[in-house]
Amino acid sequence: MAKAFPSLRPQTQGYLLIAPALAVYALFAVYPMLNVVWMSFSAWNGLSPTSRFVGVANYRAVLTSDPVFWGALTNTVYWTALAVIVPNVVAFGLALALNQNLPGRSGLRVIFYLPVIIASIAVATIWKWMYDPFFGLFSNLLTTWGLTDFIGDWLGDRRIALWSVFAAYVWQTVGFAMVLFLAGLQNVSTTLVEAARIDGAGRWDVFRHVTLPAMKPTITVVFVLSLINSLKAFDIIYGMTGGGPAQSTQMLAMWAYTQSMQLGDFGKGAAISVILLVVTLAIVIPYLRWMQTQSEASK
Amino acid sequence: MTLFAQAFRPVGSNRVDPLLVALWIGLILLAVIWIAPFVFIVFTSLKSNASVMGTGAFAPPTDLAFDNYVAAWARGNFSTTVFNGVLITFIKVPLGVFLSAMAAYALARVPMRGSRPLFLLCVFGTMIPFQVMLAPIFQQVNAFGLINTYPGIILPYLAFGIPYQVFILHGFFSSVPKELSEAARIDGASHFTIFRRIFLPVSLPALSALFILDFVATWNEFAMALVILQDPRKWTLPLGLMTFQSQFQSDYGQLNAAIVMTVLPAAIVYLMFQRYFVAGLTAGAVKE
Repeated sequence: MAKAFPSLRPQTQGYLLIAPALAVYALFAVYPMLNVVWMSFSAWNGLSPTSRFVGVANYRAVLTSDPVFWGALTNTVYWTALAVIVPNVVAFGLALALNQNLPGRSGLRVIFYLPVIIASIAVATIWKWMYDPFFGLFSNLLTTWGLTDFIGDWLGDRRIALWSVFAAYVWQTVGFAMVLFLAGLQNVSTTLVEAARIDGAGRWDVFRHVTLPAMKPTITVVFVLSLINSLKAFDIIYGMTGGGPAQSTQMLAMWAYTQSMQLGDFGKGAAISVILLVVTLAIVIPYLRWMQTQSEASK
Repeated sequence: MTLFAQAFRPVGSNRVDPLLVALWIGLILLAVIWIAPFVFIVFTSLKSNASVMGTGAFAPPTDLAFDNYVAAWARGNFSTTVFNGVLITFIKVPLGVFLSAMAAYALARVPMRGSRPLFLLCVFGTMIPFQVMLAPIFQQVNAFGLINTYPGIILPYLAFGIPYQVFILHGFFSSVPKELSEAARIDGASHFTIFRRIFLPVSLPALSALFILDFVATWNEFAMALVILQDPRKWTLPLGLMTFQSQFQSDYGQLNAAIVMTVLPAAIVYLMFQRYFVAGLTAGAVKE
Protein backbone atom coordinates (compact mmCIF):
# COMPACT_ATOMS: atom_id res chain seq x y z
CA MET A 1 0.00 0.00 0.00
CA ALA A 2 2.80 2.35 0.90
CA LYS A 3 4.39 1.95 -2.51
CA ALA A 4 1.10 2.67 -4.28
CA PHE A 5 1.25 6.44 -3.86
CA PRO A 6 4.86 7.51 -3.59
CA SER A 7 4.17 10.74 -5.47
CA LEU A 8 1.43 12.17 -3.20
CA ARG A 9 2.24 15.49 -1.56
CA PRO A 10 3.26 15.15 2.10
CA GLN A 11 0.22 17.09 3.25
CA THR A 12 -2.11 14.73 1.36
CA GLN A 13 -0.32 11.74 2.90
CA GLY A 14 -0.91 13.29 6.30
CA TYR A 15 -4.62 13.73 5.69
CA LEU A 16 -4.86 10.12 4.46
CA LEU A 17 -3.25 8.93 7.71
CA ILE A 18 -5.70 10.92 9.82
CA ALA A 19 -8.81 10.14 7.78
CA PRO A 20 -9.86 6.75 9.24
CA ALA A 21 -9.52 7.81 12.89
CA LEU A 22 -11.16 11.15 12.23
CA ALA A 23 -14.09 9.59 10.36
CA VAL A 24 -14.89 7.16 13.17
CA TYR A 25 -14.47 9.84 15.83
CA ALA A 26 -16.65 12.36 13.97
CA LEU A 27 -19.42 9.88 13.17
CA PHE A 28 -19.74 8.09 16.49
CA ALA A 29 -18.58 10.65 19.07
CA VAL A 30 -18.86 14.20 17.72
CA TYR A 31 -22.08 13.72 15.79
CA PRO A 32 -24.04 12.19 18.72
CA MET A 33 -22.90 15.08 20.90
CA LEU A 34 -24.29 17.62 18.42
CA ASN A 35 -27.37 15.51 17.71
CA VAL A 36 -28.31 15.36 21.38
CA VAL A 37 -28.73 19.14 21.35
CA TRP A 38 -31.13 18.88 18.41
CA MET A 39 -32.95 15.99 20.07
CA SER A 40 -33.45 17.99 23.25
CA PHE A 41 -35.66 20.40 21.26
CA SER A 42 -37.78 17.65 19.72
CA ALA A 43 -40.19 14.91 20.69
CA TRP A 44 -39.30 11.35 19.67
CA ASN A 45 -40.28 8.01 21.15
CA GLY A 46 -37.41 5.97 19.69
CA LEU A 47 -39.63 4.05 17.29
CA SER A 48 -41.48 6.40 14.95
CA PRO A 49 -39.62 7.39 11.77
CA THR A 50 -39.89 11.14 12.36
CA SER A 51 -39.42 13.46 15.30
CA ARG A 52 -41.21 16.72 15.92
CA PHE A 53 -39.72 20.09 16.90
CA VAL A 54 -41.17 21.20 20.24
CA GLY A 55 -38.95 24.13 21.26
CA VAL A 56 -38.02 24.29 24.92
CA ALA A 57 -40.90 22.06 26.05
CA ASN A 58 -38.53 19.25 27.12
CA TYR A 59 -36.46 21.58 29.27
CA ARG A 60 -39.58 23.05 30.81
CA ALA A 61 -40.89 19.56 31.57
CA VAL A 62 -37.58 18.44 33.08
CA LEU A 63 -37.12 21.56 35.21
CA THR A 64 -40.68 22.05 36.40
CA SER A 65 -42.73 18.85 36.29
CA ASP A 66 -40.16 16.02 36.58
CA PRO A 67 -40.38 14.77 40.18
CA VAL A 68 -37.04 12.97 39.95
CA PHE A 69 -34.80 15.51 38.19
CA TRP A 70 -34.07 17.77 41.17
CA GLY A 71 -33.40 14.83 43.45
CA ALA A 72 -31.03 13.39 40.86
CA LEU A 73 -29.32 16.76 40.51
CA THR A 74 -28.90 17.10 44.28
CA ASN A 75 -27.48 13.58 44.49
CA THR A 76 -25.09 14.32 41.61
CA VAL A 77 -23.86 17.49 43.34
CA TYR A 78 -23.30 15.75 46.71
CA TRP A 79 -21.71 12.76 45.02
CA THR A 80 -19.37 14.91 42.95
CA ALA A 81 -18.34 17.08 45.89
CA LEU A 82 -17.47 14.00 47.97
CA ALA A 83 -15.90 12.17 45.03
CA VAL A 84 -13.29 14.89 44.54
CA ILE A 85 -12.48 15.00 48.27
CA VAL A 86 -12.72 11.61 49.98
CA PRO A 87 -10.92 9.21 47.58
CA ASN A 88 -8.31 11.82 46.69
CA VAL A 89 -7.41 12.66 50.28
CA VAL A 90 -7.02 8.95 51.04
CA ALA A 91 -5.02 8.49 47.84
CA PHE A 92 -2.74 11.43 48.65
CA GLY A 93 -2.02 10.00 52.09
CA LEU A 94 -1.32 6.59 50.61
CA ALA A 95 0.97 8.05 47.95
CA LEU A 96 2.95 10.02 50.57
CA ALA A 97 3.28 6.89 52.71
CA LEU A 98 4.21 4.62 49.81
CA ASN A 99 6.81 7.14 48.69
CA GLN A 100 8.73 6.50 51.95
CA ASN A 101 11.42 3.92 52.39
CA LEU A 102 9.18 1.05 53.47
CA PRO A 103 9.58 -2.68 52.79
CA GLY A 104 7.12 -4.31 50.40
CA ARG A 105 5.77 -1.04 49.08
CA SER A 106 5.45 -2.24 45.48
CA GLY A 107 3.26 -5.11 46.68
CA LEU A 108 1.12 -2.68 48.68
CA ARG A 109 0.78 -0.49 45.58
CA VAL A 110 -0.50 -3.47 43.58
CA ILE A 111 -3.12 -4.22 46.25
CA PHE A 112 -4.46 -0.66 46.41
CA TYR A 113 -4.63 -0.45 42.63
CA LEU A 114 -6.31 -3.82 42.08
CA PRO A 115 -9.94 -2.60 42.43
CA VAL A 116 -9.35 -0.06 39.65
CA ILE A 117 -8.90 -2.72 36.98
CA ILE A 118 -12.01 -4.67 38.01
CA ALA A 119 -15.07 -4.06 35.81
CA SER A 120 -17.24 -1.53 37.64
CA ILE A 121 -20.24 -3.78 37.18
CA ALA A 122 -18.26 -6.46 39.04
CA VAL A 123 -17.43 -3.94 41.78
CA ALA A 124 -21.17 -3.27 42.03
CA THR A 125 -21.96 -6.98 42.21
CA ILE A 126 -19.25 -7.60 44.83
CA TRP A 127 -20.48 -4.79 47.08
CA LYS A 128 -24.14 -5.61 46.62
CA TRP A 129 -23.33 -9.09 47.85
CA MET A 130 -21.23 -7.78 50.74
CA TYR A 131 -24.19 -5.58 51.77
CA ASP A 132 -26.60 -8.55 51.69
CA PRO A 133 -28.53 -8.11 54.95
CA PHE A 134 -28.71 -11.87 55.60
CA PHE A 135 -25.48 -13.56 54.57
CA GLY A 136 -23.31 -10.71 53.26
CA LEU A 137 -19.89 -9.80 54.62
CA PHE A 138 -21.00 -6.93 56.84
CA SER A 139 -23.93 -8.67 58.50
CA ASN A 140 -21.76 -11.75 58.96
CA LEU A 141 -18.96 -9.79 60.64
CA LEU A 142 -21.33 -7.76 62.81
CA THR A 143 -23.03 -10.97 63.95
CA THR A 144 -19.65 -12.49 64.82
CA TRP A 145 -18.74 -9.41 66.85
CA GLY A 146 -22.13 -9.43 68.59
CA LEU A 147 -23.20 -6.11 67.08
CA THR A 148 -26.39 -7.31 65.44
CA ASP A 149 -28.11 -3.99 66.23
CA PHE A 150 -25.96 -2.32 63.63
CA ILE A 151 -27.03 -4.60 60.79
CA GLY A 152 -29.05 -2.47 58.39
CA ASP A 153 -30.58 -2.79 54.99
CA TRP A 154 -27.72 -0.78 53.55
CA LEU A 155 -28.99 -0.64 49.99
CA GLY A 156 -32.69 -0.81 50.80
CA ASP A 157 -32.85 2.13 53.20
CA ARG A 158 -33.29 5.35 51.25
CA ARG A 159 -31.50 7.46 53.85
CA ILE A 160 -28.21 5.57 53.54
CA ALA A 161 -28.33 3.82 50.14
CA LEU A 162 -26.43 6.55 48.29
CA TRP A 163 -23.60 6.51 50.87
CA SER A 164 -23.42 2.72 50.79
CA VAL A 165 -22.85 2.96 47.03
CA PHE A 166 -20.33 5.74 47.61
CA ALA A 167 -18.26 3.49 49.90
CA ALA A 168 -17.90 1.04 47.01
CA TYR A 169 -16.92 3.93 44.75
CA VAL A 170 -14.17 5.00 47.16
CA TRP A 171 -12.77 1.46 47.25
CA GLN A 172 -12.79 1.39 43.46
CA THR A 173 -11.21 4.79 42.73
CA VAL A 174 -8.57 5.41 45.42
CA GLY A 175 -5.93 3.41 43.51
CA PHE A 176 -6.28 5.50 40.38
CA ALA A 177 -5.56 8.81 42.12
CA MET A 178 -2.83 7.14 44.18
CA VAL A 179 -0.89 6.14 41.04
CA LEU A 180 -1.12 9.68 39.66
CA PHE A 181 0.01 11.20 42.98
CA LEU A 182 2.92 8.75 43.20
CA ALA A 183 4.02 9.75 39.70
CA GLY A 184 3.78 13.41 40.73
CA LEU A 185 5.86 12.76 43.85
CA GLN A 186 8.71 11.57 41.64
CA ASN A 187 9.00 15.20 40.52
CA VAL A 188 9.63 16.42 44.06
CA SER A 189 13.37 17.02 44.26
CA THR A 190 15.03 14.81 46.89
CA THR A 191 18.00 17.18 47.07
CA LEU A 192 15.64 19.97 48.08
CA VAL A 193 14.02 17.76 50.73
CA GLU A 194 17.44 16.74 52.03
CA ALA A 195 18.67 20.32 52.09
CA ALA A 196 15.60 21.46 54.01
CA ARG A 197 16.09 18.60 56.48
CA ILE A 198 19.73 19.55 57.07
CA ASP A 199 18.66 23.16 57.64
CA GLY A 200 16.51 21.84 60.47
CA ALA A 201 13.08 21.89 58.85
CA GLY A 202 10.56 19.54 60.47
CA ARG A 203 8.38 17.07 58.61
CA TRP A 204 5.48 19.48 58.39
CA ASP A 205 7.66 22.32 57.08
CA VAL A 206 9.15 20.08 54.38
CA PHE A 207 5.69 18.95 53.36
CA ARG A 208 4.26 22.46 53.42
CA HIS A 209 7.07 24.31 51.64
CA VAL A 210 8.73 21.70 49.41
CA THR A 211 6.40 18.79 48.64
CA LEU A 212 3.07 20.61 48.34
CA PRO A 213 4.21 23.36 45.94
CA ALA A 214 5.86 20.76 43.67
CA MET A 215 2.64 18.70 43.68
CA LYS A 216 0.36 21.55 42.61
CA PRO A 217 0.08 20.56 38.91
CA THR A 218 -0.63 16.92 39.82
CA ILE A 219 -3.26 17.94 42.35
CA THR A 220 -5.04 20.02 39.70
CA VAL A 221 -4.96 17.12 37.21
CA VAL A 222 -6.33 14.63 39.73
CA PHE A 223 -8.98 17.12 40.87
CA VAL A 224 -10.33 17.62 37.35
CA LEU A 225 -10.10 13.96 36.34
CA SER A 226 -11.99 12.83 39.43
CA LEU A 227 -14.61 15.52 38.83
CA ILE A 228 -15.23 14.22 35.32
CA ASN A 229 -15.11 10.59 36.46
CA SER A 230 -17.71 11.27 39.11
CA LEU A 231 -20.12 12.55 36.45
CA LYS A 232 -19.65 9.21 34.71
CA ALA A 233 -20.89 7.26 37.72
CA PHE A 234 -23.34 5.03 35.95
CA ASP A 235 -22.30 1.37 36.07
CA ILE A 236 -21.90 1.24 39.83
CA ILE A 237 -25.34 2.79 40.50
CA TYR A 238 -27.01 0.71 37.81
CA GLY A 239 -25.46 -2.44 39.23
CA MET A 240 -26.09 -1.79 42.92
CA THR A 241 -29.45 -0.04 43.19
CA GLY A 242 -30.70 0.84 39.69
CA GLY A 243 -31.43 4.32 41.08
CA GLY A 244 -33.67 3.02 43.87
CA PRO A 245 -35.01 2.64 46.48
CA ALA A 246 -37.64 5.26 45.61
CA GLN A 247 -35.16 7.09 43.30
CA SER A 248 -33.00 7.93 46.33
CA THR A 249 -29.77 7.01 44.47
CA GLN A 250 -30.83 8.42 41.12
CA MET A 251 -28.18 10.50 39.31
CA LEU A 252 -28.32 12.65 36.18
CA ALA A 253 -26.44 10.34 33.77
CA MET A 254 -28.58 7.42 34.87
CA TRP A 255 -31.80 9.44 34.76
CA ALA A 256 -31.03 10.59 31.18
CA TYR A 257 -30.58 6.93 30.24
CA THR A 258 -33.80 5.90 32.01
CA GLN A 259 -35.87 8.62 30.33
CA SER A 260 -34.65 7.74 26.83
CA MET A 261 -33.97 4.03 26.82
CA GLN A 262 -36.50 2.76 29.34
CA LEU A 263 -39.36 5.28 29.30
CA GLY A 264 -38.97 6.00 25.56
CA ASP A 265 -38.93 9.79 25.95
CA PHE A 266 -35.81 10.63 23.93
CA GLY A 267 -36.53 14.37 23.99
CA LYS A 268 -36.55 14.61 27.77
CA GLY A 269 -33.59 12.28 28.09
CA ALA A 270 -31.68 14.48 25.63
CA ALA A 271 -32.55 17.62 27.61
CA ILE A 272 -31.06 16.04 30.76
CA SER A 273 -27.97 14.95 28.77
CA VAL A 274 -27.49 18.50 27.48
CA ILE A 275 -27.70 19.94 30.99
CA LEU A 276 -25.07 17.46 32.14
CA LEU A 277 -22.90 18.12 29.08
CA VAL A 278 -22.99 21.88 29.71
CA VAL A 279 -21.85 21.26 33.30
CA THR A 280 -19.05 19.00 32.03
CA LEU A 281 -17.90 21.56 29.45
CA ALA A 282 -17.90 24.28 32.09
CA ILE A 283 -15.25 22.19 33.88
CA VAL A 284 -13.38 20.83 30.86
CA ILE A 285 -12.82 23.99 28.83
CA PRO A 286 -11.11 26.07 31.56
CA TYR A 287 -9.03 22.99 32.41
CA LEU A 288 -7.86 22.59 28.79
CA ARG A 289 -6.96 26.31 28.71
CA TRP A 290 -4.92 25.82 31.88
CA MET A 291 -3.16 22.76 30.41
CA GLN A 292 -2.27 24.76 27.33
CA THR A 293 -0.72 27.61 29.31
CA GLN A 294 1.17 25.01 31.36
CA SER A 295 2.63 23.31 28.29
CA GLU A 296 3.53 26.66 26.73
CA ALA A 297 5.20 27.76 29.96
CA SER A 298 7.34 24.61 29.98
CA LYS A 299 8.59 25.19 26.41
CA MET B 1 16.50 -9.94 56.62
CA THR B 2 18.10 -7.93 53.82
CA LEU B 3 14.68 -6.56 52.94
CA PHE B 4 14.61 -4.63 56.18
CA ALA B 5 18.29 -3.67 56.25
CA GLN B 6 17.76 -0.29 54.61
CA ALA B 7 14.07 0.19 55.39
CA PHE B 8 12.39 2.72 57.70
CA ARG B 9 15.16 5.27 57.27
CA PRO B 10 14.04 8.71 56.07
CA VAL B 11 15.93 10.57 53.33
CA GLY B 12 19.38 11.59 54.55
CA SER B 13 19.27 9.66 57.81
CA ASN B 14 20.77 6.38 58.98
CA ARG B 15 18.54 5.79 61.96
CA VAL B 16 15.32 3.81 61.98
CA ASP B 17 12.40 6.21 62.27
CA PRO B 18 9.69 4.91 64.66
CA LEU B 19 7.06 7.03 62.91
CA LEU B 20 7.78 5.22 59.64
CA VAL B 21 7.37 1.86 61.36
CA ALA B 22 3.97 2.96 62.70
CA LEU B 23 3.01 4.23 59.26
CA TRP B 24 4.01 0.91 57.73
CA ILE B 25 1.84 -1.05 60.16
CA GLY B 26 -1.08 1.25 59.34
CA LEU B 27 -0.54 0.65 55.64
CA ILE B 28 -0.50 -3.12 56.08
CA LEU B 29 -3.79 -2.97 58.03
CA LEU B 30 -5.40 -0.84 55.33
CA ALA B 31 -4.13 -3.20 52.63
CA VAL B 32 -5.72 -6.11 54.48
CA ILE B 33 -9.06 -4.25 54.47
CA TRP B 34 -8.59 -3.41 50.79
CA ILE B 35 -8.02 -7.00 49.76
CA ALA B 36 -10.63 -8.51 52.11
CA PRO B 37 -13.50 -8.30 49.57
CA PHE B 38 -11.49 -10.41 47.10
CA VAL B 39 -10.78 -13.04 49.75
CA PHE B 40 -14.44 -13.08 50.75
CA ILE B 41 -15.56 -13.50 47.09
CA VAL B 42 -13.12 -16.31 46.32
CA PHE B 43 -13.98 -18.14 49.56
CA THR B 44 -17.71 -17.83 48.97
CA SER B 45 -17.35 -19.01 45.38
CA LEU B 46 -16.04 -22.32 46.72
CA LYS B 47 -18.78 -22.87 49.31
CA SER B 48 -22.09 -24.63 48.97
CA ASN B 49 -25.16 -22.56 49.85
CA ALA B 50 -25.47 -24.41 53.16
CA SER B 51 -21.97 -23.49 54.27
CA VAL B 52 -22.37 -19.89 53.04
CA MET B 53 -25.24 -19.58 55.51
CA GLY B 54 -23.58 -21.62 58.25
CA THR B 55 -19.94 -20.47 58.36
CA GLY B 56 -18.13 -17.21 59.00
CA ALA B 57 -17.32 -14.84 56.16
CA PHE B 58 -13.59 -15.52 56.28
CA ALA B 59 -13.80 -19.19 57.22
CA PRO B 60 -11.87 -21.01 54.47
CA PRO B 61 -14.11 -23.24 52.36
CA THR B 62 -13.95 -26.86 53.50
CA ASP B 63 -16.17 -28.53 50.92
CA LEU B 64 -14.44 -26.89 47.87
CA ALA B 65 -17.55 -26.72 45.73
CA PHE B 66 -15.90 -26.36 42.33
CA ASP B 67 -19.23 -27.32 40.79
CA ASN B 68 -20.29 -23.70 41.53
CA TYR B 69 -18.02 -22.71 38.67
CA VAL B 70 -19.41 -25.36 36.34
CA ALA B 71 -22.99 -24.40 37.13
CA ALA B 72 -22.35 -20.65 36.92
CA TRP B 73 -20.56 -21.09 33.59
CA ALA B 74 -23.63 -22.80 32.12
CA ARG B 75 -26.29 -20.59 33.72
CA GLY B 76 -24.49 -17.35 32.94
CA ASN B 77 -23.95 -18.34 29.28
CA PHE B 78 -20.25 -17.79 29.81
CA SER B 79 -19.31 -19.62 26.61
CA THR B 80 -21.25 -16.97 24.65
CA THR B 81 -20.14 -13.93 26.64
CA VAL B 82 -16.47 -14.97 26.72
CA PHE B 83 -16.54 -15.57 22.96
CA ASN B 84 -18.12 -12.14 22.31
CA GLY B 85 -15.79 -10.41 24.75
CA VAL B 86 -12.70 -11.96 23.15
CA LEU B 87 -13.91 -11.21 19.62
CA ILE B 88 -14.82 -7.57 20.32
CA THR B 89 -11.68 -6.88 22.38
CA PHE B 90 -9.28 -8.56 19.96
CA ILE B 91 -10.65 -6.59 17.00
CA LYS B 92 -11.20 -3.26 18.73
CA VAL B 93 -7.94 -2.92 20.66
CA PRO B 94 -5.32 -3.51 17.91
CA LEU B 95 -7.40 -1.64 15.33
CA GLY B 96 -7.92 1.31 17.66
CA VAL B 97 -4.25 1.58 18.63
CA PHE B 98 -3.22 1.32 14.96
CA LEU B 99 -5.67 3.99 13.72
CA SER B 100 -4.69 6.27 16.61
CA ALA B 101 -1.00 5.79 15.88
CA MET B 102 -1.53 6.72 12.20
CA ALA B 103 -3.43 9.86 13.14
CA ALA B 104 -1.00 10.80 15.92
CA TYR B 105 1.97 10.41 13.56
CA ALA B 106 0.37 12.71 10.99
CA LEU B 107 -0.55 15.31 13.61
CA ALA B 108 2.89 15.23 15.20
CA ARG B 109 5.24 14.89 12.23
CA VAL B 110 3.54 15.92 8.97
CA PRO B 111 3.32 19.67 8.37
CA MET B 112 -0.33 20.18 7.44
CA ARG B 113 -2.82 22.97 7.40
CA GLY B 114 -5.37 22.53 10.17
CA SER B 115 -3.36 20.13 12.31
CA ARG B 116 -3.62 22.42 15.36
CA PRO B 117 -7.45 22.59 15.47
CA LEU B 118 -7.63 18.86 14.70
CA PHE B 119 -5.36 18.15 17.66
CA LEU B 120 -7.45 20.38 19.94
CA LEU B 121 -10.63 18.61 18.80
CA CYS B 122 -8.96 15.38 19.79
CA VAL B 123 -7.83 16.60 23.24
CA PHE B 124 -11.37 17.82 23.81
CA GLY B 125 -12.62 14.30 23.08
CA THR B 126 -10.49 12.81 25.86
CA MET B 127 -12.60 14.67 28.41
CA ILE B 128 -16.15 13.91 27.29
CA PRO B 129 -17.84 11.13 29.25
CA PHE B 130 -19.96 9.01 26.91
CA GLN B 131 -22.10 7.82 29.84
CA VAL B 132 -23.71 11.25 29.58
CA MET B 133 -25.08 10.61 26.08
CA LEU B 134 -25.94 6.95 25.73
CA ALA B 135 -29.23 7.59 23.94
CA PRO B 136 -27.77 9.66 21.05
CA ILE B 137 -25.06 7.02 20.58
CA PHE B 138 -27.79 4.38 20.43
CA GLN B 139 -29.64 6.52 17.89
CA GLN B 140 -26.58 6.93 15.66
CA VAL B 141 -25.72 3.21 15.72
CA ASN B 142 -29.39 2.50 15.01
CA ALA B 143 -29.30 4.87 12.01
CA PHE B 144 -26.64 2.61 10.49
CA GLY B 145 -28.73 -0.46 11.28
CA LEU B 146 -25.99 -1.84 13.53
CA ILE B 147 -27.82 -2.47 16.83
CA ASN B 148 -26.96 -5.99 18.12
CA THR B 149 -23.99 -6.37 15.79
CA TYR B 150 -20.24 -6.52 16.45
CA PRO B 151 -19.44 -3.49 14.24
CA GLY B 152 -22.22 -1.62 16.06
CA ILE B 153 -20.33 -1.84 19.36
CA ILE B 154 -16.79 -1.72 17.96
CA LEU B 155 -17.28 1.57 16.08
CA PRO B 156 -18.39 3.66 19.11
CA TYR B 157 -15.70 1.96 21.24
CA LEU B 158 -13.15 3.11 18.65
CA ALA B 159 -14.62 6.61 18.52
CA PHE B 160 -14.34 7.11 22.29
CA GLY B 161 -10.94 5.38 22.60
CA ILE B 162 -9.16 7.24 19.79
CA PRO B 163 -8.82 10.71 21.40
CA TYR B 164 -6.89 9.54 24.49
CA GLN B 165 -4.62 7.28 22.45
CA VAL B 166 -3.91 9.97 19.85
CA PHE B 167 -3.13 12.39 22.68
CA ILE B 168 -0.62 10.02 24.32
CA LEU B 169 1.02 8.94 21.06
CA HIS B 170 1.20 12.52 19.81
CA GLY B 171 3.31 13.33 22.84
CA PHE B 172 5.47 10.28 22.24
CA PHE B 173 5.98 10.85 18.50
CA SER B 174 6.78 14.53 19.04
CA SER B 175 9.72 13.53 21.22
CA VAL B 176 11.29 11.21 18.62
CA PRO B 177 14.48 12.93 17.39
CA LYS B 178 14.21 14.62 13.98
CA GLU B 179 17.37 12.95 12.61
CA LEU B 180 15.62 9.60 12.66
CA SER B 181 13.02 10.60 10.09
CA GLU B 182 14.89 13.33 8.16
CA ALA B 183 17.35 10.88 6.56
CA ALA B 184 14.53 8.69 5.32
CA ARG B 185 12.68 11.75 4.01
CA ILE B 186 15.71 12.77 1.97
CA ASP B 187 15.95 9.25 0.53
CA GLY B 188 12.47 9.82 -0.86
CA ALA B 189 10.52 7.59 1.53
CA SER B 190 6.83 8.44 1.89
CA HIS B 191 5.24 9.24 5.25
CA PHE B 192 3.52 5.86 5.11
CA THR B 193 6.89 4.12 4.94
CA ILE B 194 8.46 6.27 7.67
CA PHE B 195 5.49 5.63 9.93
CA ARG B 196 5.62 1.87 9.39
CA ARG B 197 9.36 1.30 9.29
CA ILE B 198 10.61 3.84 11.84
CA PHE B 199 7.90 5.20 14.12
CA LEU B 200 5.92 2.03 14.81
CA PRO B 201 9.04 0.07 15.88
CA VAL B 202 10.47 2.80 18.12
CA SER B 203 7.15 3.39 19.86
CA LEU B 204 6.55 -0.24 20.83
CA PRO B 205 6.73 0.49 24.59
CA ALA B 206 4.09 3.23 24.34
CA LEU B 207 1.95 1.10 22.03
CA SER B 208 2.07 -1.85 24.44
CA ALA B 209 1.06 0.35 27.37
CA LEU B 210 -1.95 1.66 25.46
CA PHE B 211 -2.75 -1.83 24.23
CA ILE B 212 -2.93 -3.27 27.73
CA LEU B 213 -4.81 -0.32 29.23
CA ASP B 214 -7.34 -0.50 26.42
CA PHE B 215 -7.66 -4.27 26.68
CA VAL B 216 -8.86 -3.99 30.28
CA ALA B 217 -11.12 -0.99 29.56
CA THR B 218 -12.81 -2.72 26.61
CA TRP B 219 -13.16 -6.03 28.42
CA ASN B 220 -14.85 -4.27 31.35
CA GLU B 221 -17.06 -1.78 29.50
CA PHE B 222 -20.71 -1.93 30.49
CA ALA B 223 -22.84 1.17 29.78
CA MET B 224 -22.37 1.36 26.00
CA ALA B 225 -22.79 -2.41 25.61
CA LEU B 226 -26.01 -2.14 27.63
CA VAL B 227 -27.70 0.14 25.09
CA ILE B 228 -26.26 -1.39 21.89
CA LEU B 229 -26.14 -5.13 22.58
CA GLN B 230 -29.67 -5.99 23.60
CA ASP B 231 -29.68 -9.52 22.17
CA PRO B 232 -28.35 -12.01 24.79
CA ARG B 233 -26.43 -13.83 22.03
CA LYS B 234 -24.29 -10.71 21.56
CA TRP B 235 -23.68 -9.96 25.26
CA THR B 236 -20.24 -9.38 26.73
CA LEU B 237 -19.14 -10.51 30.20
CA PRO B 238 -20.28 -7.46 32.18
CA LEU B 239 -23.78 -7.73 30.69
CA GLY B 240 -23.85 -11.43 31.51
CA LEU B 241 -22.78 -10.75 35.10
CA MET B 242 -25.46 -8.07 35.52
CA THR B 243 -28.18 -10.50 34.47
CA PHE B 244 -26.74 -13.26 36.63
CA GLN B 245 -26.77 -10.87 39.58
CA SER B 246 -30.44 -9.99 39.15
CA GLN B 247 -31.67 -13.52 38.42
CA PHE B 248 -29.67 -15.82 40.67
CA GLN B 249 -28.66 -13.57 43.54
CA SER B 250 -29.59 -16.10 46.20
CA ASP B 251 -27.34 -18.82 44.71
CA TYR B 252 -24.46 -17.28 46.63
CA GLY B 253 -21.75 -19.74 45.66
CA GLN B 254 -22.56 -19.54 41.97
CA LEU B 255 -22.94 -15.75 41.99
CA ASN B 256 -19.46 -15.42 43.48
CA ALA B 257 -18.05 -17.94 41.01
CA ALA B 258 -19.51 -15.79 38.21
CA ILE B 259 -17.84 -12.69 39.70
CA VAL B 260 -14.47 -14.48 39.87
CA MET B 261 -14.73 -15.67 36.27
CA THR B 262 -15.66 -12.17 35.03
CA VAL B 263 -12.87 -10.43 36.91
CA LEU B 264 -10.06 -12.95 36.49
CA PRO B 265 -8.88 -12.18 32.91
CA ALA B 266 -8.42 -8.45 33.63
CA ALA B 267 -6.78 -9.21 36.99
CA ILE B 268 -4.29 -11.60 35.37
CA VAL B 269 -3.45 -9.11 32.61
CA TYR B 270 -2.92 -6.44 35.28
CA LEU B 271 -0.70 -8.57 37.49
CA MET B 272 1.41 -9.61 34.48
CA PHE B 273 1.81 -6.14 33.00
CA GLN B 274 1.47 -3.72 35.95
CA ARG B 275 4.43 -1.68 34.77
CA TYR B 276 2.57 -0.74 31.59
CA PHE B 277 -0.52 0.43 33.46
CA VAL B 278 1.42 3.00 35.39
CA ALA B 279 3.27 4.10 32.24
CA GLY B 280 0.08 4.45 30.19
CA LEU B 281 -1.85 6.30 32.87
CA THR B 282 0.76 8.73 34.02
CA ALA B 283 1.97 9.61 30.51
CA GLY B 284 -1.36 11.26 29.86
CA ALA B 285 -2.00 12.99 33.11
CA VAL B 286 1.32 13.95 34.65
CA LYS B 287 4.03 15.66 32.65
CA GLU B 288 7.55 14.52 33.44
